[in-house]
Amino acid sequence: MKLNIDGLLVYFPYDYIYPEQYSYMLELKRTLDAKGHGVLEMPSGTGKTISLLSLIVAYQRAFPLEVTKLIYCSRTVPEIEKVVEELRKLMEFYAKETEEVNNFLALALSSRKNLCIHPEEFDAVGRQVPLPAGVYNLDDLKDLGRRKGWCPYYLARYSILHANIVVYSYHYLLDPKIADLVSKELAKKSVVVFDEAHNIGKDLQRLWLSGMSEPFLAFPEGLKKDFKMSKRLEKLLFSTDNVCIDSMSVNITRRTLDRCQNNVDTLQNTIQRIKETDAAKLREEYRRLVEGLKEANVARETDVYLANPVLPDEILKEAVPGSIRTAEHFVGFLRRFLEYLKSRLRVQHVVQESAPQFLKDIFDKVCIDRKPLRFCAERLQSLLRTLEITDISDFSAVTLISNFATLVSTYSQGFTIIIEPFEDRTPTIANPVLHFSCMDPSIAIKPVFQRFQSVIITSGTLSPVDIYPRILDFRPVTMASFTMTLARTCLCPLIVGRGNDQVALSSKFETREDFAVIRNYGNLLLEMSAVVPDGIVAFFTSYVYMENIVASWYEQGILENIQRNKLIFIETQDAAETSMALEKYQEACENGRGAILLSVARGKVSEGIDFVHHFGRAVIMFGVPYVYTQSRILKARLEYLRDQFQIRENDFLTFDAMRHAAQCVGRAIRGKTDYGLMIFADKRYARADKRGKLPRWIQEHINDGSLNLTVDEAVQLSKHFLRQMAQPFSQVDQLGLSLLTLEQLESPEMLKKIAQIAHQT
Amino acid sequence: MDEEPERAKRWEGGYERTWEVLKEDESGSLTATVEEILYQSKKRRVIKSHEQVRLGMMRHLYFVIDCSRSMDDQDLKPNRLTSTLKLMETFVDEYFDQNPISQVGIIITKNKRAEKLTELSGNPKKHIDALKKAVDTPCVGEPSLYNALSLALNNLKHMPGHTSREILIILSSLTTCDPANIYELITTLKSLKVRVSVIGLSAEVRVCTVLTRETGGSYHVILDESHFKELLMLHVKPPPASSSSECSLIRMGFPQHTVASLSDQDAKPSFSMSHLDSSSGAGLSLGGYFCPQCHAKYTELPVECKVCGLTLVSAPHLARSFHHLFPLQAFLESPTEKLLKNRFCQACQRELEDKTPVEKHTWSQTTEKASNRRMTLKTAEKNGEPSNHNSGDALLLIW
Repeated sequence: MKLNIDGLLVYFPYDYIYPEQYSYMLELKRTLDAKGHGVLEMPSGTGKTISLLSLIVAYQRAFPLEVTKLIYCSRTVPEIEKVVEELRKLMEFYAKETEEVNNFLALALSSRKNLCIHPEEFDAVGRQVPLPAGVYNLDDLKDLGRRKGWCPYYLARYSILHANIVVYSYHYLLDPKIADLVSKELAKKSVVVFDEAHNIGKDLQRLWLSGMSEPFLAFPEGLKKDFKMSKRLEKLLFSTDNVCIDSMSVNITRRTLDRCQNNVDTLQNTIQRIKETDAAKLREEYRRLVEGLKEANVARETDVYLANPVLPDEILKEAVPGSIRTAEHFVGFLRRFLEYLKSRLRVQHVVQESAPQFLKDIFDKVCIDRKPLRFCAERLQSLLRTLEITDISDFSAVTLISNFATLVSTYSQGFTIIIEPFEDRTPTIANPVLHFSCMDPSIAIKPVFQRFQSVIITSGTLSPVDIYPRILDFRPVTMASFTMTLARTCLCPLIVGRGNDQVALSSKFETREDFAVIRNYGNLLLEMSAVVPDGIVAFFTSYVYMENIVASWYEQGILENIQRNKLIFIETQDAAETSMALEKYQEACENGRGAILLSVARGKVSEGIDFVHHFGRAVIMFGVPYVYTQSRILKARLEYLRDQFQIRENDFLTFDAMRHAAQCVGRAIRGKTDYGLMIFADKRYARADKRGKLPRWIQEHINDGSLNLTVDEAVQLSKHFLRQMAQPFSQVDQLGLSLLTLEQLESPEMLKKIAQIAHQT
Repeated sequence: MDEEPERAKRWEGGYERTWEVLKEDESGSLTATVEEILYQSKKRRVIKSHEQVRLGMMRHLYFVIDCSRSMDDQDLKPNRLTSTLKLMETFVDEYFDQNPISQVGIIITKNKRAEKLTELSGNPKKHIDALKKAVDTPCVGEPSLYNALSLALNNLKHMPGHTSREILIILSSLTTCDPANIYELITTLKSLKVRVSVIGLSAEVRVCTVLTRETGGSYHVILDESHFKELLMLHVKPPPASSSSECSLIRMGFPQHTVASLSDQDAKPSFSMSHLDSSSGAGLSLGGYFCPQCHAKYTELPVECKVCGLTLVSAPHLARSFHHLFPLQAFLESPTEKLLKNRFCQACQRELEDKTPVEKHTWSQTTEKASNRRMTLKTAEKNGEPSNHNSGDALLLIW
């Protein structure tokens, strides 16, 4: 249908529209008009993607000079593919309606691993060939590449410069090193959309650790191990802000240093060799360094590139200091730095210090000044270029170290250094780690906000919306949270605060080992398993807690009773095991046997997997998923937040816990025909400060009657709810209420209603 | 709402939150309640039933009653099993009343097994007796949909093509314990044109949704006992026959009931053929129905002759089956605003209220319920419509 959004003609490729989609588009239009940033929350399953795409495409067509490009950042490859498919539908609709050939170019970009068609031979042909207009997903690109004999990856990378719409992963924009290669030259007048912006945390740490060269390389073997060691860190990770933080944080272990040592040796040998064969080249480099990084500076001033946060402004104006200008000196410098780091890792107790403290210490001990440190990263790049080293993957360790050097000397605030001699869990095994962690997510994302005219952050769970601008340090022109208009109340949030014996249910530390609480939790699951059909997903606050509870249920015979109703599957820390469990879980739901999946609030299941329809008829959240507050990195970060942004520790922790809780329970409802129970089993949820931080679309269905229920009451309510929802429900019933035709949309009373849907904050 | 006679007693229902119901009404058109949606779909059904469709008049229906652990649940009074069986009794009665030339069989499933309670037959008494006895069966273990369906299928697949093959499952449990992949069985059911309908007593189960969707049946979940009854009664009406099912002519016998007078010396009491296999009941009687072909005696109709296989019915039976083909015309809705003077229901004298979506026509809701199918024939005649007026397109499957 054709819509009139505030004077803009928007083609919408469906016959029906949800009222909230309309109002979402209104808000979006306002944001684009103001050329500002926006934070928009809308529940999943209400057609965010197509609303975004159709409005922005219409805007591009109407004002081709105002908005030249749409950069759509999503999380995973399947999600990217889904976006492209929606886009294709939209374009087909355009072609049909306007009957003219449009020259829109839209494409998806993914890592080289996903786009490679010749795994054995390197083939970069196709860099300079413009793609014909059209919509390309990853497979289309590969097809084209195969036909023409071009490398699809380079073809895509080249083409994004003149494409109208680019769909790719966050990494390409946020991770400084990748962004530098891929997204540097994207036009300023682009609109950037971060979809599912609440949780982009987990997979990024991996990226950083692999030397930030993911598009080029397979995973280096040694670093995989490093990654595993630091895995326990994952649970500390935060969300949206996390990507930013992860992309700026560095963890250094002994293994990294050893590998780095090897790198430096190789460097030295290569330099030696080159000196004998081609000394002129080194002299040329030296000359260039004297002139400084002027070129980069010119480029930035003329606003050609996206700024790289690892390359701060000041450096560009200066020449590389003399002490590291020649290649040998630089290698020597690196050695000294490495030795220093090694000595620091030989600690027996935990050390926490700020960047200036670290710099002072390094100056005292090995006489390394701040200035050369700052040039470290740039100098290394230059050296690698000069030495014509093709296999950069081997040098990931030294790159990591040099990045660390640059970061630590550049930012005196927003970072902290923590050196731990052993892991908390295994205090006897020495495994020293140096965490250089970023406290301030805004550092990484700042260039994006500065460069692009509109940045839209959108997701199903962003509540409370006002905290994101504060953490990410930007000023949005629109902040809105949309609810779902429903023809029937298809979600039923219940807060269970007491067991049948009136014991207060809570996962708080004092009562966590309490026998009565564990028994009552078991009882809740047992009773629910008898009334809820097909799949139930239960979330615990941590793996340890889940293990304890499940062991205790086993002893009490609760598990056996549950298994009479449903099969039980458990998420573990092992990815293969978990995906196996998930597969079997879905099979059991499909076959009518019914199943329960026990998983963990910050685990893989809670972030990435949707439980549509019968795969998740109920979600039970056992306890409030607070982060592990004893972690030093977390403590440091909380302190920083308090000092810098005046966000109280408690506020932030609650905010974080509630957004994870919302994330978990939100997995069950993925659309308007879906329905599900959301059971919050902890009495603390009943408090206004917790409840108030849930997304609006959940909150508005929690009424006073569903607070602090006993298990029995919850079961009664669920039974009733499930029966109501099982009644036949067709599209006709939604029409006019939650689903509109064009005529219905244009009726004045509906327009008035729509105006109320968005809740401005 | 309170005046509805069939509603369960207040204290028998679950926790009720009357204040919430009120709240929803106030918020008006924004959130339609589930009840409203139900009402709408009912109305659609009524209107739809007046379209010309082919109906399968000879039905073979297997009941599957879940007797698993969950049937002990007491949300229906006194428990689910007793309540179900009681409703089934009325259903069986009604079923044979409306479909006299059809047959029914009952299967129960519990403890991962399925067993036949009664064979497929057209004798309501036998089923009702069996149902009465079944009240005492202990409810244990899980049901097995697969076993129950395959048992029913094995019996149904030999039935001739012009009859409908139906299975109606009353499922209380939310889980099923199957020996093999049920989806394969569903495809078999589909290919054999068996229609499976499910009435769930607790909630929507995915596998039932697929099962009914694939086989063309209906899936409903009860809200309370009165709704349960309503849903059961939906199955009294013969389902539309698929266009691919064959039509064939069937030979039928219409025996007269002959009563030998005691004075007649030649008359001797004789055994009825229907009593041959069942030991119960007085075997000897004087009169009865005699098969026109082979003169076997039967005490009741309809029945299939044991000797020559002729279907024996009486003319009123056939006539009763007929009225499904010529349903009553739909009520014409006339808005209450038009009725300025006479705002009383013509049938029950209740006052007509404004706005409630239920009472939009001149007959109040109570009357609508009361005027059940038995009255339809009469009313149709009273309205002066010849009952074969619209029979043009309705193809009779049997003759």
